[in-house]
Amino acid sequence: MTERQDRSKISRRTVLKRAGAATAALALPYIVPEGIGRAKAQSSPGTIRMMGGPTVALEDWAQFEKDTGLKMEFVPFNVDDVGALYNEILINGAGERFDLINTLAGVQKPLVQQGQVAQLDTSKLQNYAGIADSVKRSPVLYTGDDKDWCVPLYYNADSFGYFPEKLGLPRPPEALTWDLLLNSEETLGKAALDGDMIALMIGGMYLKSRGLADIADPGNMTADEVALATDWLIERKKAGQFRTLWKTYDEQVANFVNGEVLVQRCWEPAVKAVQAQGLDVEYATCSDFHVNWMHSTFIPVQAAERNNLDEIYRALDWFLGGSYAAELAVLRGYTGSRMDLGLEHARSEGWPDEKIEAIEANIVKVETKFSNPNFWIGGAPDDLAAHDREMARFRNA
Amino acid sequence: MSVIVLDKDAAVSHLQRRPRVSLERGAIILVTALWVLGALMPILALFVISVLRAKGLSFDFSLTLQAYRDVLVDFRLEIILRTLRVVAVVTLIEFLLGYPFAIWLAKGIRSGLAKSIILVLLVVPFFLSPAARTIVWRSILGNDGLINNLLLSVGLVDTPVSWLLFSEFAVHLGLIGPYFPSMVWPIFISVSLIDDELIKASRDLGATGLQTLWYVVTPLAVPGIVAGFLFTAIPMLGDNVASTLLGGGRVALIAESFDDLIRAMNFTGAAALGAILVVAVIATALIIRWVLVHLDRNNGHRLKVMSS
Repeated sequence: MTERQDRSKISRRTVLKRAGAATAALALPYIVPEGIGRAKAQSSPGTIRMMGGPTVALEDWAQFEKDTGLKMEFVPFNVDDVGALYNEILINGAGERFDLINTLAGVQKPLVQQGQVAQLDTSKLQNYAGIADSVKRSPVLYTGDDKDWCVPLYYNADSFGYFPEKLGLPRPPEALTWDLLLNSEETLGKAALDGDMIALMIGGMYLKSRGLADIADPGNMTADEVALATDWLIERKKAGQFRTLWKTYDEQVANFVNGEVLVQRCWEPAVKAVQAQGLDVEYATCSDFHVNWMHSTFIPVQAAERNNLDEIYRALDWFLGGSYAAELAVLRGYTGSRMDLGLEHARSEGWPDEKIEAIEANIVKVETKFSNPNFWIGGAPDDLAAHDREMARFRNA
Repeated sequence: MSVIVLDKDAAVSHLQRRPRVSLERGAIILVTALWVLGALMPILALFVISVLRAKGLSFDFSLTLQAYRDVLVDFRLEIILRTLRVVAVVTLIEFLLGYPFAIWLAKGIRSGLAKSIILVLLVVPFFLSPAARTIVWRSILGNDGLINNLLLSVGLVDTPVSWLLFSEFAVHLGLIGPYFPSMVWPIFISVSLIDDELIKASRDLGATGLQTLWYVVTPLAVPGIVAGFLFTAIPMLGDNVASTLLGGGRVALIAESFDDLIRAMNFTGAAALGAILVVAVIATALIIRWVLVHLDRNNGHRLKVMSS
């Protein structure tokens, strides 16, 4: 062996070794969880940066800006997609970029445990004390530690939208059942369902309400329970029940408008939007169950360290005030946590009678629906991985 | 022959540009560094993460193949195979549509202006977001859409054809548009570089149009065709727009699986699935290369037979 060959051999070995070390070093930034060099918390005085569900946003923030003297920078996020939301907060550090984060109530509980949520100083919120205790201490909101972590923004009892005339069915408040959506020959291939894990929870609620499966809490199923719910939904999917699974609000509206469905699990604002286009669609009142949910908003722990905390509280208090509650009740059909202030606002601002009636009807509607059987969905099931896995199985079936 | 010509050109340009060699080398080093940082590092990290053990949101630094076992469950295998099949079929369709189009664009149009206009027109749709471009298909393919209305009014069908939308058919159709330019461009460049004299010579020697296409144009366009296949197929593997908006929850493709796994914060699983995909892509590229080399040899052989 010549010296040259020898040297080349050694260097090759050295190179391989170095390449191995280099690979590990290269990968390091990606496997260090905290994320190197993430931008440090920055405040932007005079502007509130809020992340939340698209239906939280108003079409026009002028009233907010007038009342608070602050600018609103709203970034919509599909908060129903709980995994994506956790990812955004825990991995992508949303708290660094936002002053207020809106989630489905219940989702914040693990975030509180992980120290992502700033404890509320309720003395800085004028409108907070007047919120009913049944709301403040509802199972999705209360963490059981006698502390307040987030404010309830609004709530509703969800069902599905349908075309009463085309189906020959009565209008609300006359009650229907979920069979129309999930288990009906008449709507075979003309029904649409959520494309996220809420579909599985609804499957679980249906099975539980019919006594078809032993499920403790459909909003927080175990791996075995969610598999049962998924099996049943797959059966219905294979029977051709579902025309499509939607992922976004726009799709819900489009499915109604384009005549793809006769009945669709959807958000109440979608029905409002379709009605606004002149279509005869209604949001069902159900006798078997409703899907109760609440939206809540918290201050991320990073924001509490910023110097615009007073502005953040001012903005948060505005969301609990009358103008937001009134606006949202008319715009989306949702019920704010201070509807008393909402009604007062509408009257004092001299809103037209029809809008005031809509707000009054909204209060009655929610009271009626909440007195029917219902299941709360708290957003985040404990076994998130099982829910996501089963959802993938459902979609693939 | 063309290879020799290209080499000569390269040599000439190299001699002419000698004073700028250091600049070129600098550029090469810069591009390589960017490539290592931007492309190679993340891919290597993918492989490393895929064999780590997940521990909450962090990793336990011990090696395991658990992530691969978690990911490779029955329905996920189905999704991988379906994705590979859909991508293969659509890429082939793109080639069948794009190849004649690229030849026409490169050799059929004489006016430089017309050529530029068509190239720009190819790009214009991409100013729209992919979702906006794709969702348009819904009002064309839907139960109450353009095609169904047409079919109903002509009396070809009594009830709307429902498989037009929210089906594999719709996903295939939705994928064709966005990836058409990535097939056309590389082939267009390759064909443009073919000397017109060669084509003329082929016709002078009595070859039919098809013979010229098969024995002259295609062999010389092979680099562009290979690039077209890769540029089209690889990004398409990661497309989640068409399957989400047009699949109606029936056509699960692999991109959605990534979304699912990342959403469930199963990062090792997502990395494992990514690693499998990278290996599948490299294997496919190697197979294509092998086939082409094989074809090339056969072609060479045939050319020899023809000339003798």
